[in-house]
Amino acid sequence: MIFSSITFLFFFLPIVLAIYYIVPKKFKNLVLLAASLIFYFFGEPVYVVLMIVSIISTYIFGLLIDKYKENSKFFLILSICVSVGILIYFKYTNFLIENINLWLKHKIDFIYVALPIGISFYTFQMISYTVDVYRGDAKVQKNILKLATYISLFPQLIAGPIVRYTTIEDQLENRTHTLEKFSNGVRRFIVGLGKKVLIANVLGELANKFLGTNDATVLFYWLYGISSMLQIYFDFSGYSDMAIGLGKMFGFEFLENFNYPYIATTVTDFWRRWHISLSSWFRDYIYIPLGGNRVSKIKWIRNILIVWMLTGLWHGASWNFVIWGLYFGILLLIEKLFLNKILDKLPNIIKRIYLLLIVMISFIIFNGNGVNEILKNITGLFGIGGISAISSESLYYFKSYLIVLVIGIIGATPIMKNFFQKEKLSKFVNCLEPIFLVLILLISTSYIVDGSFNPFLYFRF
Amino acid sequence: MSNRVKDAIVTLSFISILVIVFLINIIKEDKLISESERRKLASFPEITKSTITNGDLSQKFESYFADQFVGRDSFRSLKSFISLNVLKNKDNNELFEKYGSIYKMDYKINEKALQKSADKINEVYNKYLKGMNVYYSVIPDKNYYLENDDHLKMDYDKVVEIMENSLEDMKYIDISDSLDLDDYYKTDLHWKQENLSNVVNTLENKMNLNESKTQDYELKNIGEFYGVYFGQLGVNVEPDEIYTLTNSEIENCVTFNFENNKKGKVYEESNSSDKYDIYLSGPVALLKVENPNSESDKELLLFRDSFGSSLAPLLLKDYKTITLIDLRYVSSKILDYYIKFENQDVLFLYSTLVLNQNILR
Repeated sequence: MIFSSITFLFFFLPIVLAIYYIVPKKFKNLVLLAASLIFYFFGEPVYVVLMIVSIISTYIFGLLIDKYKENSKFFLILSICVSVGILIYFKYTNFLIENINLWLKHKIDFIYVALPIGISFYTFQMISYTVDVYRGDAKVQKNILKLATYISLFPQLIAGPIVRYTTIEDQLENRTHTLEKFSNGVRRFIVGLGKKVLIANVLGELANKFLGTNDATVLFYWLYGISSMLQIYFDFSGYSDMAIGLGKMFGFEFLENFNYPYIATTVTDFWRRWHISLSSWFRDYIYIPLGGNRVSKIKWIRNILIVWMLTGLWHGASWNFVIWGLYFGILLLIEKLFLNKILDKLPNIIKRIYLLLIVMISFIIFNGNGVNEILKNITGLFGIGGISAISSESLYYFKSYLIVLVIGIIGATPIMKNFFQKEKLSKFVNCLEPIFLVLILLISTSYIVDGSFNPFLYFRF
Repeated sequence: MSNRVKDAIVTLSFISILVIVFLINIIKEDKLISESERRKLASFPEITKSTITNGDLSQKFESYFADQFVGRDSFRSLKSFISLNVLKNKDNNELFEKYGSIYKMDYKINEKALQKSADKINEVYNKYLKGMNVYYSVIPDKNYYLENDDHLKMDYDKVVEIMENSLEDMKYIDISDSLDLDDYYKTDLHWKQENLSNVVNTLENKMNLNESKTQDYELKNIGEFYGVYFGQLGVNVEPDEIYTLTNSEIENCVTFNFENNKKGKVYEESNSSDKYDIYLSGPVALLKVENPNSESDKELLLFRDSFGSSLAPLLLKDYKTITLIDLRYVSSKILDYYIKFENQDVLFLYSTLVLNQNILR
């Protein structure tokens, strides 16, 4: 079930909200757990069992780590092996077989397993829990229902953000439900829904037009680059907004996952603003344990490359994701080694253009289907290969999607937020905000009812 | 407005919309078909062990909820309005409007499909039609007549080229110069029967129907016509008017539908939501029309799609019988079970839209 679906919006959500607010406080976590399992069951009727088994295993390992302090490292390693083992089996086995087969005369057969939705997200949450218990950063959770509620919590279950146990440890026991928090949740949810349905999906259509054309021009390559870059941002940040908003409706406060990444001026800055919960997870659970930057230069370079290769692999079992991760790792190294000193002297506009180009190319790699296609889509941006600059088809789509592109570009910056936060406009904004929100909800509903293009990019992770 | 009041309004509005829509959706009766979209709507999914375990259930529920959503048509119109008028998208769901007429963006040529369509026609020729007078023509879709917007037109010349290269033993009749944009409905993909005189003349000329007499028709208004694109685009475009060209000779003709073994008339109003079905009962796999008042002994086998339904009555003056065969609905392998192939005239008359899809059986 995805948030931008009729099933979720007009059936699942009203029923769950009603039951949640009717039952006494002591049953609220139970309602959330039941709702989360149903939510997951609806999309993954078989793999819900896998998730429950994973939760039970994490619960037991948490207890063992806490109880047998002298052997806690052993249990931690075992728990990570189980969690990562399951992830590798379902996500990477065929990728491994494919690559091993390149060297074998007698090929190994592929296994027939589908990727359980959200497994990459909830596996990372489980690891964060056991590591935090091991480190003493979190108290062990003795109530399995509360731990299960945390891991399976439907707002963040299938596409993040990766909520750390320590973030909501206290909230699981004791959280407040106020009108202000609920209405803020509604605001975030509706804005996220609009970002997803009205911008990401529409620009996804434009990107698909490019993929279906026989007449790619330089203009069309740029339209593809820009639209897919905006699509992935609005898709994923829209989903995070909806998750954070839903969390608030149920009394939780999740950490932010995006902070206007496209206004960043360096790659380092970009990754402080993009998918924050993932990059901070890798920092705290991989990079720092490897020694971070407090090691020799060679080891530091090794650490960065390991972390970014794993970041790439986390996104998918395919070489283009590995290349995508290493691309960012290498750029970060270049920036840290010398480029930052040069960039610091340049005006912000140049730095932003540099960053946007880097990121646009990264998403061409990310979306690419094979090296040839990736190279074609990158060189096409610069007209290499004698392709024409413009055609009536690409001009048609440019005009057709111009307004959405402009809205997307403005929406990816804090311009509108800063504008509406001006004191002079507060009365005006106060009156219009509820109307604006209702309109976004209705218009988004109309797009969903119409059955328009509605994928969720981060579901495959 | 204090923040607390604003919070209350935001919360109440959201909850009200969710709850009201939820309740109405639960209470209201399900619809079987959508008139505006011309399709069956999804019904409540069957819940079985297999639909649950194979993961199809969520998709089926979503289709059901979306199809049966309260005010579905209004929401679709709202989406269309926002898409076309606010966001200024040039098309909505692959349809666009120009000068009050609706067009589908069905312009991408599929050479493999075209070749397979040609191969199928050749197969029929080789099996049944050798030695007979066999003609073929390709009906341009209306985008072909759009001024400018070249990329929105299917490459008609390429379609004809593929057909000509493949159909060597048949005679090609070019009707593209016999039509104009005004000869197509604004809200539908089809041509207007009352505007087909040039097409008929071209066909008669090339098919050596020189003895054909000129005939007077009475133009009969059937009423407003909301074509297939009307409901799909969801914007306000003036409906068309639909007419039949008739006379006593046509009215005396008798049709025989091989599917249900029923006799009927050339023009019959039905309960169908598609008024274009007035012509020869709409989509029928095999239909024979007999003209008892014909002065000719000639017979025609018309391999056709829906465009043929409105054209065939205008060829009745030249033939004693016309047998209409729609290879989309009947397999070419079993045609000799129903039809005796003798010395009939044969015309393959398919639109680019059908040839480009590889749907001939």
